[in-house]
Amino acid sequence: MARSIKKGSVVVAIGTKKGGFLFHSPDRKKWSVAGPFMEGGSVYHMTLDPRDGRTVYASAPMGSEPWGPAIYRGLAGEEPKATRAAPKFKEGSDLSVSRIWHIEAGPSKAPDTIYAGVEPAALFRSDDRGDTWHDLDALNYHPTRKEWQPGGGGLCLHSVLVDPRNPRHLIVGISAVGAFETRDGGRSWTTENRGVRAEFLPNKYPDWGQCVHKLAWDASGDGSIFQQNHCGTYHRGPDGGAWTEVTKGLPSDFGFPIAAHPTQKHTAFVAPLVGAGNRVFPKGQMAVWKTTNSGKAWRRLTKGLPGPGAYLGVLREGMAVDEADPIGVYVGTNTGQLFASRDEGESWKMISDFLPPIFSVTAGIAQ
Amino acid sequence: MRIPPALRSYTDGQDEVVLEASDVAAMLRALDVNFPGIRDRVVDEAGRRRPYVNVFVNEELIGASLPESKLNPGDVVHILPSVAGG
Repeated sequence: MARSIKKGSVVVAIGTKKGGFLFHSPDRKKWSVAGPFMEGGSVYHMTLDPRDGRTVYASAPMGSEPWGPAIYRGLAGEEPKATRAAPKFKEGSDLSVSRIWHIEAGPSKAPDTIYAGVEPAALFRSDDRGDTWHDLDALNYHPTRKEWQPGGGGLCLHSVLVDPRNPRHLIVGISAVGAFETRDGGRSWTTENRGVRAEFLPNKYPDWGQCVHKLAWDASGDGSIFQQNHCGTYHRGPDGGAWTEVTKGLPSDFGFPIAAHPTQKHTAFVAPLVGAGNRVFPKGQMAVWKTTNSGKAWRRLTKGLPGPGAYLGVLREGMAVDEADPIGVYVGTNTGQLFASRDEGESWKMISDFLPPIFSVTAGIAQ
Repeated sequence: MRIPPALRSYTDGQDEVVLEASDVAAMLRALDVNFPGIRDRVVDEAGRRRPYVNVFVNEELIGASLPESKLNPGDVVHILPSVAGG
């Protein structure tokens, strides 16, 4: 840990179009910033490993030039270095990794395990902190793959949920293919999209082909999940099965991020935009919406957020929560502002402006 | 083979490596034996040259597929990012 980041500080890792930044604060009132790291490179995702509170992982092109995607690793506050290898498909597959969208820490009992979701959509696992990678065949070469269609951002695997109760249970989200679930560590996968709309297909409720935008565990701890989709917001209960649409009460059925409260069950935050054709906040007012009952009702939170006249948006990785008490909520915009709330979304403060467009926001506690 | 600055982390800082190979593809494989991982930066897992990465033999830009790009003793292979400007 670099000396500049004090143990116990909240660390908000920001991936931007031109480098990564670490905002850190012991009290969440006064913030300091470290970076830019991977300067000049498009940092699609950057995260502090919650298992040690020290290691930062990031995904960006190698050397910010056209040398292909890379995973970077380092201690928080120091310049991360590219790991020995990046995820790659098997030779002969005729597939090649063009971008790494998401890095997810593995189970707490496997501290060297991380997952990477990539474009074209695939999931890879490393058991040595990113130096070598395993191709999860059953998903990556799924029989339906030849018919997979990209979303507006590409054919990307962007959400990886690792069940804290059972590390062999994972759920992933692919745009625009849908959610897939494994309960045997990736040997077999099921499509998990019942009840989710796909308004852009002739069959509005197909087995797969939905445009999932982001998934998040419900803090209930029973396996319940929230989903923000291209076509609505959803919640799935503890026993799996069909999703329940919970869009009612929100200003639109379109948005990208969804962040669940880490300890308060059935509680989540979303940031709805006007729609697919106009990806800005409705009526020029930036707003975060919160539910405390699995989406049965939503409350609009705007105190301290810009508007009217604020025509900006938030990308799929653009919102995160910390685990302090009360929790902090962080939103990064595609116009380079970082907003923070240290009272669970009730009020907000801009903690940075004039950053490059923000691709990702994650939050953790430095150890 | 001349190594661009962005890839010298693989070659312990060396800017030039002398290799024996009959074509450019074989040279990249030989380079990777000595410096694991570097080949993946020039070609993808399907063996295609990455977009905006140029390979020159002496001063000639290689347009053909890499295995067809034969080498002679003393040739200098350059790997360079294209200008990608506009």
